[in-house]
Amino acid sequence: MTVLWYLSRATGVISIVLLTAVMMLGVFLSGARRSVGNRTTTTQAVHRSLALGTATFLVVHIATAIVDTYVHIGVLAALLPFASTYHRLPLGLGTLGFDVLAAIVVTSLLRHRISERLWRVVHRASFVMWPVALWHGIAMGTGNEPILRFTTIGCGVVGVLALVWRLTGSHHDSSRRREVLRQEWT
Amino acid sequence: MSLIDLLDAAGLTGRGGAVFPTGQKLRAAFAHRADLIVNACDGEIGTHKDALVVAEHLDELRHGAGLMARTVHWAAHRGSDTEARLLEAGLQVLSVPARYVASEESALVNHLHGGLARPMMRRAPVVAGSTSPRGRRLPPTLVLNAETVWRVSQIERFGPDWFRSFGTAAEPGPRLVTIGGRVERPGVYDTAAGIGLGDLLQAAGAIDVAAVGLSGLSGGWLLGATAWATVWSDADLAPHGLRTGTGAVHVLDRGACPLDHVARLTGFAAGESAGQCGPCMFGVPAIAEMLDRLAEGVLRPDEVRLLHQRVGLLPGRGACRFPDGVAGFAASALRTFRTDVEAHLAGGCVAARERSGATR
Repeated sequence: MTVLWYLSRATGVISIVLLTAVMMLGVFLSGARRSVGNRTTTTQAVHRSLALGTATFLVVHIATAIVDTYVHIGVLAALLPFASTYHRLPLGLGTLGFDVLAAIVVTSLLRHRISERLWRVVHRASFVMWPVALWHGIAMGTGNEPILRFTTIGCGVVGVLALVWRLTGSHHDSSRRREVLRQEWT
Repeated sequence: MSLIDLLDAAGLTGRGGAVFPTGQKLRAAFAHRADLIVNACDGEIGTHKDALVVAEHLDELRHGAGLMARTVHWAAHRGSDTEARLLEAGLQVLSVPARYVASEESALVNHLHGGLARPMMRRAPVVAGSTSPRGRRLPPTLVLNAETVWRVSQIERFGPDWFRSFGTAAEPGPRLVTIGGRVERPGVYDTAAGIGLGDLLQAAGAIDVAAVGLSGLSGGWLLGATAWATVWSDADLAPHGLRTGTGAVHVLDRGACPLDHVARLTGFAAGESAGQCGPCMFGVPAIAEMLDRLAEGVLRPDEVRLLHQRVGLLPGRGACRFPDGVAGFAASALRTFRTDVEAHLAGGCVAARERSGATR
């Protein structure tokens, strides 16, 4: 059924756009130079809601890909990375990305019940998830549609810019923490 | 009578400055089978009482510690004489970096278990077990000041009635006071709450007293005239917003600018932050910088409001009470030395005028 195929591709592209937006909001949150009014609170709320919204688009994207009969992708291949015979690497990357996202969502929902450290470690995996998802998007499906491909590449460019901003910017809080840690505390 | 009953009857409270009932703390320690850390760091600026207790009463101290726990760790500042003495006695020494906040209760526990000697965020009393910054459970640990442990051993030997024959009904028991600054006989004095601060000053040979600092960085200031007439007890110091606290007494004479002294101590405090909580990382250095400019005579009069505002923002926002202490110290100085503050805002200095007057 071609409707499912189109639905799968559309939700895939929407997912990568939303995912990039969520990642950028997260980067902005962790690297905010200073908090002005309730800007941080708002950003945090949007970051969380948008992440959950992205997950629903992803579920539709994966479900339609499985149900659609144009190519064969099993349930196992959709959950276990690199278990598919069809486009083993790029499809596996997509699966990997989804698994990481699922782990991030679950640990975030349980954040007040688990240790801060565990949450942080899992949350940092988003820096793996995003490029993996991007690669999956570029390598699969969007080849014959420039508008889809350029959307994905555009997401990559904007996301990288956000990461560069985060890595190059110095934050007075973390630099003071580092400065104090260099003193004798042991 | 059990040891806890003896301590309750004696009314012993923590001699490290927090004045928490020791019997109550020991009850929790026994219930949790806590290990003991004897804190002999003298972390407060201007105190040397723990050093004296270790130097002159180590046998009693060991006896007291043995009454409260099977495993005892002895905390002392790295490189201090106290550390050397404890090592010489063959005790388990916890070598603590000589930093102001490193000898805080939770910092010692963190340090003992391989962490950094920085205060921890507390969800329960340290004596009931704590959680390290990395999320690891740390065993229940009783932390007591060295003087407190010495008093425990004395109460066990001489009884609560002997203990209560010193001090006042509300603040019973003998206390060690360290007197320093411009006095002829600086040192540690064995006294008790209820003694006249003037008597203490006289005993230490203070003649020219412009101001008296009490309890170091966790305390505040009295003007000389007030100090001579004030009784040294929490009840009598409360109207001045002060406490006996860590038992430090520091005397400034008329030739020293009190604002200069306060700025230097606050500057020191700014460098002692463990870099964990915002008010301590940024707030303390911010007020230190303003006090420094005030001492230099270059603070603009319109900035004084901001200074007071910043001091008011420090308390109650840290994992430990360090910012609260520094805020109290600065607020007390600004209140007590109002005349000096006004002179400095106008570009002058009372102490400098005093000095030039004396040389003429």
